[in-house]
Amino acid sequence: MKLGAGACWKIAVLGLTAGWLTTPEAGTAQELDPRNILEERCSSCHTPRAGGGLERISDNRKTPEGWEMTIVRMGIWHGVEVPEDELAVLVRHLSNTQGLAPAETAGQRFILERQPNVVENIPNAELNVMCARCHSFARVALQRQDEDEWRKQSHAHLGQYPTTEYQSLGRDRDWWGIARDKMPKLLGEMFPLKTDTWDDWRKSAKADISGSWRVHGERPGVGRYVGSAEITATDWDEYEVTYALRYANGSEVTGQGAAIVYTGFEWRGSATLGDEEVREVFALSEDGNSLSGRWFLANADEVGAHFNAVRVREGASTIIAVEPQMLRAGESTNITIHGFGLKGNVSLGDGVTISEFVTADANSITVVATAATDIEGGNRSVSIGSTIATDLFSVYSQIDRLVVEPPFAIARVGGGTTPAVVAQFTAVAYLNGPDGEAGTNDDVRLGSVPAEWSIENFSEEAEQMEDAKYVGTIDQNGTFMPAGAGPNPERKYKTNNAGRVTVKANAANGESQIAGDAEMVVTVQRWNSPPIL
Amino acid sequence: MRAYGKFTAMAAVAVIASVSLLGCDNELGKKEYLVTANKPNNLHLIDTETHEVAKTFLIPGDGAPGTVSVSPDGQVAYVITNHMESLVGINLDSGEEVFRADASYDNIRSKHMFAMTVSRDGKEIYSFQTPVRILPGEYQVLDTQIAVYKTDAGLDAKPVRVFPAPRQISVLAPSVDGKTIYGLGPSIFGFNAKTGEIESSHPLREWGRPDYGVPDILAAWPTFEVSNILTAPYFVPRTDKAPDAPDAMKTGLVSLNLKTGEVTTEDFENTSVLIFSTVQSPINPNEAYGVYTQLTKIDQKAHVVSNRIDMDHTFYAINVSHDGKTLYMGGTMDDVVAYDAATLEPKWAVKLPGGGDQGLASLRVVRR
Ligand code: HEC
Ligand code: HEC
Repeated sequence: MKLGAGACWKIAVLGLTAGWLTTPEAGTAQELDPRNILEERCSSCHTPRAGGGLERISDNRKTPEGWEMTIVRMGIWHGVEVPEDELAVLVRHLSNTQGLAPAETAGQRFILERQPNVVENIPNAELNVMCARCHSFARVALQRQDEDEWRKQSHAHLGQYPTTEYQSLGRDRDWWGIARDKMPKLLGEMFPLKTDTWDDWRKSAKADISGSWRVHGERPGVGRYVGSAEITATDWDEYEVTYALRYANGSEVTGQGAAIVYTGFEWRGSATLGDEEVREVFALSEDGNSLSGRWFLANADEVGAHFNAVRVREGASTIIAVEPQMLRAGESTNITIHGFGLKGNVSLGDGVTISEFVTADANSITVVATAATDIEGGNRSVSIGSTIATDLFSVYSQIDRLVVEPPFAIARVGGGTTPAVVAQFTAVAYLNGPDGEAGTNDDVRLGSVPAEWSIENFSEEAEQMEDAKYVGTIDQNGTFMPAGAGPNPERKYKTNNAGRVTVKANAANGESQIAGDAEMVVTVQRWNSPPIL
Repeated sequence: MRAYGKFTAMAAVAVIASVSLLGCDNELGKKEYLVTANKPNNLHLIDTETHEVAKTFLIPGDGAPGTVSVSPDGQVAYVITNHMESLVGINLDSGEEVFRADASYDNIRSKHMFAMTVSRDGKEIYSFQTPVRILPGEYQVLDTQIAVYKTDAGLDAKPVRVFPAPRQISVLAPSVDGKTIYGLGPSIFGFNAKTGEIESSHPLREWGRPDYGVPDILAAWPTFEVSNILTAPYFVPRTDKAPDAPDAMKTGLVSLNLKTGEVTTEDFENTSVLIFSTVQSPINPNEAYGVYTQLTKIDQKAHVVSNRIDMDHTFYAINVSHDGKTLYMGGTMDDVVAYDAATLEPKWAVKLPGGGDQGLASLRVVRR
């Protein structure tokens, strides 16, 4: 395999980002006709068809990231030169005309959002071992093509990576036989080119996103935030946005950014939040009234935050967040209800008394609330006038369980030009619910709580290799920072600073403590980071 | 490769003193060398007497070097290189490039895929290939094949015969009588060396052992030249055991006797360490050795590990001296080391010039 794909992807990712930012002002991009670009850059190999369209290209539907990857790959594999401005135009055109409908991306958005440490739920064991051992299954599940085209994809794989059938989990089976016959048939049925979902979406009128939005979310390691976003249209599919956010710890962040919306719902933005450069991957709901996803640091995508925005509508009222989101029996504190159009009597549910109004306007109401000492733990409905939210607030007397999220994480040592990949953990308090059993449907997720963090050797093998001593350090926000890359002369076998550890969280639970843990593998650097892992 | 028979290393040792490094014209003066390669594209001849790298040659073109097979007279090393697209013969005295066969042609992109061997008479080379047709806008994976080249075909060698071969073959080894070319893959196939016809087939993937699953066989190291037995480790789950039972996973050896064609597959331990390559002792038919992070001595009669030591880093490739007393290890980094086969104590070590990684390069033992 000739390619040192790493360097190429960095260019790729930056390329598209630059495209997002420059296209609005450039003006020239508008004059580039995607059909001319396809003709000029692609049709020499992808023959035009009698009835219109180009061989292969017309047989695929993909996300914007999927199209970007394919076109960049045309450059790396086949020497196809596509300047950045033309790449941006093509990605936009192909995503709009041969994209995925919102419902078709459901369940796979985490990969577009670059959420770290998600364990995929793959519907078929053979598919898992055949098509999800080098990259995510999501990369596959975000493509739409028929059996024959999936077969060509298999030909391209083995053709380009002939050692595939010799690798572990390749050499113990008739890899090529399965990849050529069985997988294309299965995938063609699961992810076909033509669907009603797409046809309907393509025809539907797309929402204008401009307006005032109320925003809330959580940044693991920092905490929950609420705020506002003012979005204005700069073109039919381009927007500018101004943010004002306030974290639960009191810090305030303002920012602004710009975005392109692909396929009528795929928001891809770049913004400055405080002093951080971030990227945004959001999806607009089909009704056009909510925008949700994840934003992350431009230079470290594992560090980021969940994001939800709800459109402020004239005459409507919605509660978006309650802060803090949990209240302990016998405790009294200020509680703020966030939303818009808020007006009327406030209730925080059974057993919670409101003694005082601190502030009140249409976007937030702050009250002093007290939970009864004998309160029964569980969710409480929050209502203001006739506006009700059922799962934003809960009460408890004891935390039943402390769950460390994610339960399994990968961190990567850093060095040279490749920075470390950190791992961020959150301690989340749970109640076991009326049945008293952990892990059942009636469990109540109370929310994240502060914790003391530490790491320990995961196993006897890790103990022998003293992994916990070498892999890196965790701070009291649950952020694990891996050690440096390369062989470590201090270690047995001069091995590198890889290892396997248990991540421990200890949180206050009334007068006592409650513990939870997770597993973490610290491993070597990853050289490439394509738009869809 | 010639059957050296009784011409033992001891005899060779006796005459070494009179042989200069260039004195290969002395027929009596055969002594043992190691041939290996490292990145970017270097070929090395290591003198096992002086423990020095006697010669280093730059292989023309791109690397990285992989499988190495040496002509029976010890004169020419054939090396797969150039991203596996070229097979290059280098004269081990002069360093001259005497043979080159590029696997790709026209719109066919093809690799010499790990499995490659010189014939017993030194006249032909067998190479397993994975062709792909590159069309505008489409790749087509084609059937795999064994291409046969004449060793005297020069620098633009074309195959004289090409025969179809099942996919996933990773080692080719000639039978001692030269009539059969064995291919280790999903089965051990015996190809007629002249016609390519598959005359025998011993299943491995579908070996049908009761209570055993499919073995995982990682065999990319042709190390049969000393004992004429090709061995490779396998790792296999037992289907009658709980997944967390200590014997849920077994490690064993598949062995192919190149004299008789007999194949055996025998477990020797509950899987406890990874082993990349193994070699059969030429003096004790019940002893084999394997290496990766540890060096393992296997008692094939008792089906146990009789000794195991930690190496100071991983080694991919293992081989053995003709007198059976010394184990040679290479692969990964630039270290080639020799250990005592009886005690597993270190004997000597050399660093390869250039410091490049050996990767998957074979470590071959030759007498010349
Ligand atoms: C040996 C590892 C490996 C296996 C196994 C594998 N893939 Fe891939 N796949 C890759 C790599 C590497 C790429 C990215 C190529 C690039 O963009 O540079 C890729 C890319 C893709 C793409 C995106 C292509 C594009 O450019 O848009 C799809 C779709 C895909 N794979 C599907 C599959 C399917 C289906 C299977 C199972 C039949 C599979 N993969 C098995 C390594 C693998
Ligand atoms: C120099 C020839 C060449 C040019 C020009 C070319 N391609 Fe390709 N394309 C290929 C080949 C060969 C394949 C099949 C192997 C592969 O998948 O890379 C392919 C496959 C594809 C596929 C199907 C595989 C997939 O991952 O979905 C798409 C879509 C595609 N190309 C899009 C494009 C676009 C868009 C352009 C123009 C920007 C383009 N190609 C220009 C050679 C070319």
